[in-house]
Amino acid sequence: MEVLVRTWMESITKAFYIAKKDAKVYYFKAPNFTYGLLMPVSLFLAFSISGQINSNLIVSGLTSLVILFGTTSIEAVAVVLERQTGTLDRLLVAPVSFFTLILGKALAGLFFGLVLATAILVPLSIISGTGVANPLLALATIASSSLTFSGLGALVSVYAEWVPEAQMLSNFLRLPMAFLSGTFVPLEFMPFQLRVVARFLPLTYSVEALRISMSDSAITATYWLDILVLAMFSFAFFVIAAKVLQKKIE
Amino acid sequence: MKAVVKTQGLTKQYGDIVAVDHVELEVFEGEIFGLLGPNGAGKTTTIRLLTGQTKPTSGVAIVANRDIIHESTKAKERIGVVPEVSNLYDEMSAWDNLIFAAQLYGVPRNERDRRAKELLELFGLYKRRKDHVGSFSKGMKRRLTIATALIHKPDILFLDEPTTGLDVQSSRTIRNLMKELNEGGTTVFLTTHYIEEADQLCQRVAMINQGKIVAVDNPEKLKAAIEELHVIEVSFSPSGDFWDRLRGLKYVSNISLVGDKFRLHVEDASEVIPLLIDFSKENNLRIVSINTLKPSLEDAFVKITGLSPEVMATEKEPIKREKGGSVG
Repeated sequence: MEVLVRTWMESITKAFYIAKKDAKVYYFKAPNFTYGLLMPVSLFLAFSISGQINSNLIVSGLTSLVILFGTTSIEAVAVVLERQTGTLDRLLVAPVSFFTLILGKALAGLFFGLVLATAILVPLSIISGTGVANPLLALATIASSSLTFSGLGALVSVYAEWVPEAQMLSNFLRLPMAFLSGTFVPLEFMPFQLRVVARFLPLTYSVEALRISMSDSAITATYWLDILVLAMFSFAFFVIAAKVLQKKIE
Repeated sequence: MKAVVKTQGLTKQYGDIVAVDHVELEVFEGEIFGLLGPNGAGKTTTIRLLTGQTKPTSGVAIVANRDIIHESTKAKERIGVVPEVSNLYDEMSAWDNLIFAAQLYGVPRNERDRRAKELLELFGLYKRRKDHVGSFSKGMKRRLTIATALIHKPDILFLDEPTTGLDVQSSRTIRNLMKELNEGGTTVFLTTHYIEEADQLCQRVAMINQGKIVAVDNPEKLKAAIEELHVIEVSFSPSGDFWDRLRGLKYVSNISLVGDKFRLHVEDASEVIPLLIDFSKENNLRIVSINTLKPSLEDAFVKITGLSPEVMATEKEPIKREKGGSVG
């Protein structure tokens, strides 16, 4: 048992070091912030202008979209870039498991998502007057969402062979998700079939949990269920990404 | 002697292509072991198999007393790997690259700085420690790659073509460093297509061709094994392309060109020397020099593999790697 705990602690520590390195090398660069914010803000403005969106939904929806686009944009190419520059071999020859490697990559996305989401949530909630009723729960939602979308990005990244393929794949997943997850149109206004589809998309749970944590109403079981589903999505993405990477290397 | 690398029937197949074919190797503690072969012979695949970067199709490899397939992480803790192309993070400083490697290999926090400083000083890079690696020359990058592979004091250091693509001075520095490391107790496993490098550095050499090991022994024994083979080195004036005509001479089994000298592998030197004198007269040539030589490792390689030495001189296509940028 003691050995197992020590092994896990070592894995998490190494994942943290990989994340720190990724943050330095790939994430915290001005163009990445711009892209992470630009795309979702543009989409939202387009819908807001057409009057098809309730202004109360803007803050939570936009924040979730920023996390989705911000984290996946870089995460989806992180492994591809490492493969192209040969640095992936540096990680593969080190005593690091595939799961640790993917976890490290996703943790970098988690930090980036936290920074990006805070950068948009704080000013927007003040300007719009919506406020954030439960800041801690909002933070937990942002963290869970960032980890989930980073996991999704990592999965795309291990699958893709080169950067344009990774970008195409991530857009193929992100764009439908942006429209079908209750971001622009609340789920209750969507047809039944689309509501069923929405339940298979992680962004739905992110938007829902963020709305609950921002509202004054009491925290319901739905919030905790949303967080649980996001955690399950994260774990599934990490495990599958690690397996795909292992398969590809071997 | 204790074997620190031992393989049995190690095989790697990519579709129909057998890159490594039932390789049986033993590398002993404290030696410099060379895997010598032309490009495409299976050297890099062998090193990738031994360092857990790819899984064999069949066979077993025990590295640092661990099964590299089933106890990969444990085995990796005891080995250092230097790839053919330096794989450092260009955006990070030399210091940060070393510290990151130390973190991955679990070097205790209080030892990291001391170890990084020691290695940077040993490799003559301490003054450039704060500079981004992207600004380094190829030789400096190679030295830093070796330094990062040594950060955790590995038992075995694997180097894939360590001097390929480097200038003469950098190559010499790297070779001296390998000797020094070996004298300090590190077992060195290197691949090379430079016969001279294998001859100068390695205590034992395995010759590999088309994925198969064709000979393993120390360089002197490999040379001694072909001592019945005679080698004559001859140069003519005026110099010219006499290749085909010389090949046509009786008793000549192989021929190569070293500078302006023709190196003839012959069955009996005493029979061939008069023929060469006749040849020079018939072609109005003057013999500038003529020597009989002891077989070199190159001669042994030619004899054992049946390949011409020119095959070994062929450099690999440079590996093109894209640089990462911002993304969308």
